[in-house]
Parts: sequence; C-alpha cells; structure tokens
Amino acid sequence: MDNEMALSFIAISENEGLARMVMTSFIASLDPTIDELAEFKTIVSEAVTNAIIHGYEEDAQGIVTIRAKRNGRQITMTISDEGKGIQNVEQAMEPLFTSKPESERSGMGFTIMESFSDHLSVWSEPQKGTAITFTKEFQPIQSKIVMGER
Amino acid sequence: MNHQLLFVEDGIAIIRLRGELDHHATQTIREEISQSLYRGTLRAIIWNLQELHFMDSAGIGLILGRMRDFVPSNGQTVILHPSETMKKIFQYSGLGSYVWDTSEEETIAALGGILNGQ
Repeated sequence: MDNEMALSFIAISENEGLARMVMTSFIASLDPTIDELAEFKTIVSEAVTNAIIHGYEEDAQGIVTIRAKRNGRQITMTISDEGKGIQNVEQAMEPLFTSKPESERSGMGFTIMESFSDHLSVWSEPQKGTAITFTKEFQPIQSKIVMGER
Repeated sequence: MNHQLLFVEDGIAIIRLRGELDHHATQTIREEISQSLYRGTLRAIIWNLQELHFMDSAGIGLILGRMRDFVPSNGQTVILHPSETMKKIFQYSGLGSYVWDTSEEETIAALGGILNGQ
C-alpha cells in the first residue's frame, strides 16, 4: 500500500531528532533492516541539519519542510527550505568542503547522503532556498523461517 | 548529556558516547568534552561507541575537532564498536584506520595504560 506525507517545523536543532523520529515511523511498514534504517535516518539528519544551520542559521523562524512518498519499497523524499540557498552547489557537494569550519562541520554531509541513497538531486538558488530530493529502495523482506513450531 | 568520560592512568581518556549524536547533541557534548580534556595531559583518546544508537557527520566533526586539538601533543585517537553504518561514515571521511577491532581493555593495554577499578 502506498502512502504520502508532509512535515514542517521551525529551524532549531532540536528538530533534527524530531525529523528522524517521524521519518522512521513513516517507513516502519517496510520492515527495514537495521542498516537500511540507520542509513535512511542519516540521510534525513544530514539534509535537515543543512537546512537548519546553513539555510536559516538556526533562526528559529524559517520553516523546513519534508515531503515523502512511499511507492512499493521505494521512498522518495524532498527536504526543502526557503533560506539563503547555496552559492555553488558543485563545490558544496565536494567531500570535506564546508562553509562553516569554525563550527566543526566536517563537510561530509553530501557525500554521506549520496552514498546512502540510490539517487540524489539538489536544487538551490541564492536567497530563495534549497531542496534536496532523494530516493532509497528497500530490499524485499526475507522470508522468515520458523523452526520447531507447528 | 548522555556520555561518560573516564581518565585512565597514564594520559588516556575514554569517552563512552550514548544515545544519539547529531548536530544538536554535539553543541553541548563538545563543550563538556573539551573542558575536561584540557585539564590533563593526554596522549590518547578512546571513543567507545558501543552504546551510541545514531551518529551522522556531526560525530565526524566532533572527533576531527578533538584530533586537531591533539596534534601538538601527538595524541592518538582510537574508535571502538561503531555500527556498520557508522563504520561506513568513518571510511568516507578518511577515519577508517582509527577504528580498532579490540575491546576497551585490549586497547588500553595496547596503548600501555592501566584501567583502574573497572
């Protein structure tokens, strides 16, 4: 059965955990493996954190929106903000590049999101905002072998 | 927060992280860890992630930041018990070689320290 959802929240770091929790519930019926779930949560966390700290500088006013669809065993999700946007998307996606070295950002967010998703695209325009869309395919549930029961 | 910081004899610190380590959590953890670490002369930090349920790239920033602070004193960094997903994150970030496949006790012994009262 397919499903669709949207979630919006203000740009404060506390909501990174909220986003992970809601999205974990959204994919629960797919019965993901521990690793699939961990990778999915990591993608959500990276994208939402980017929106909160880069898009809005944690201003507690800007709105971050997550829209997600479940289609069979595939999840498509867009995390968007109407914040300051990314000047140079190509540069932002390079491993270890960060515009905030002083706050110990590792610059690994995009690399991790790309590695853990099946497809990722980024739209951004300075002063208009950023939207990151990714898809992740979940493996079919292994048939469960029941032993010693009748 | 949720972590535990222990000092082992001979300049080894063990940081046992717990719960979820994201950008939100690192804002408080970083401050606490840094203040404690600067108090002593350290030669190694062991990050034990056994009870850490989630970590994103904020964890990389936290560990890299502490490594940077240790460069002048040639401090060593060891990462123990990351989950499979965390292990991948360390590999992408060039920290894969800091992950050891040993227990806390074995690590301390290998670094030449004694863990008291454990």
